[in-house]
Amino acid sequence: MKERYKKYTVEIPEEMALPFAGIVEAPKVNGEQPMMLTGGWRIYRPVVDHDKCVMCKSCVLACPDATVLLVDGGQKIGFNLDYCKGCGLCTWVCPVNAIDRVPEIDFEDGVPFQDALFLLPHVEALYAD
Amino acid sequence: MAKTTEVTVWATGVVQDKEGRDVCLVLTEAAFNEGKFTQAFDNYVDLPDRINVQVRKYARISDAEIENKFEYENHRPNIVGVCEATIMKGINVCKGLQDGGYLIINSTKKPEDLLKYVPEKEKKRLKAIACVDALGIAPEQLIDYSGAEGAEDVSAIGLGLGSAMAGAIAAVSGIVKKESVLGAAANRTSAKRGYDEVKIKVLK
Ligand code: SF4
Ligand code: SF4
Repeated sequence: MKERYKKYTVEIPEEMALPFAGIVEAPKVNGEQPMMLTGGWRIYRPVVDHDKCVMCKSCVLACPDATVLLVDGGQKIGFNLDYCKGCGLCTWVCPVNAIDRVPEIDFEDGVPFQDALFLLPHVEALYAD
Repeated sequence: MAKTTEVTVWATGVVQDKEGRDVCLVLTEAAFNEGKFTQAFDNYVDLPDRINVQVRKYARISDAEIENKFEYENHRPNIVGVCEATIMKGINVCKGLQDGGYLIINSTKKPEDLLKYVPEKEKKRLKAIACVDALGIAPEQLIDYSGAEGAEDVSAIGLGLGSAMAGAIAAVSGIVKKESVLGAAANRTSAKRGYDEVKIKVLK
């Protein structure tokens, strides 16, 4: 099987491999890429019921922002809440309805707090007294 | 030069694009009918055509002609409106707020419960914080996928959520009279309910 498809396969050298989405790196936990923090967009937070989850990993593939994580050594589903934008796709694809959507405002924390959007030095001066 | 009152309204991208814009348009229309000078303008900075991104809409109201025409952002607002309370969790909506400013939020919660999302510096400047269940009063949020920039608004202004928010902002800040805001909104009933049902907590 593998041999048959070999002629259609292009080997990409590691230094030429494209990052996630072809343009930017996949989001890191702890808000290391502040200019693209999308956690603040989230109105409904995905919450997984581990008892229901069958670890099919459909949600991992479906998430457009690569924010569904495999945690506990790949045994459990987790979320990178700094960047999850609450689109609900993971809930939609889950075959056993294990992911709930809970209003974000009912949680105490979980959203990185930004002082301003697109805060560049010349913009900061405009907010001053 | 007479003092210009600046209003910044936060909304979610695409979903509340029209409603956020309507808050500004209803308020400026109402003020214009009272003989004031006004400006209302959309957002060009926050890349507003992404669903649920935090976006801002702006209005300026003044007794005299407004001179700074070409600055498309209110960095020092007097009034801040928030069309979706969750936005406050991730961003300092009151940044740059003038002393004695007002914050009006669309939420079913009590104003006291949402005060924790305002940083100390801005909290000191707040004169009052208020909540109105705008989504409960007027659940319509017209979604227009043609994009924020250059979109044509064929429906009436102030039909849904925006009318209740505009009514609430008028009630809390007194920036326009009740009759003017009711007259400017297409949905008079929800503007009136927003005006009457807003829960205010005065801070100073
Ligand atoms: S809600 Fe959307 S962004 Fe968040 S984890 Fe699910 S698929 Fe990803
Ligand atoms: S899609 Fe549902 S069942 Fe599959 S791994 Fe995700 S949460 Fe678990």
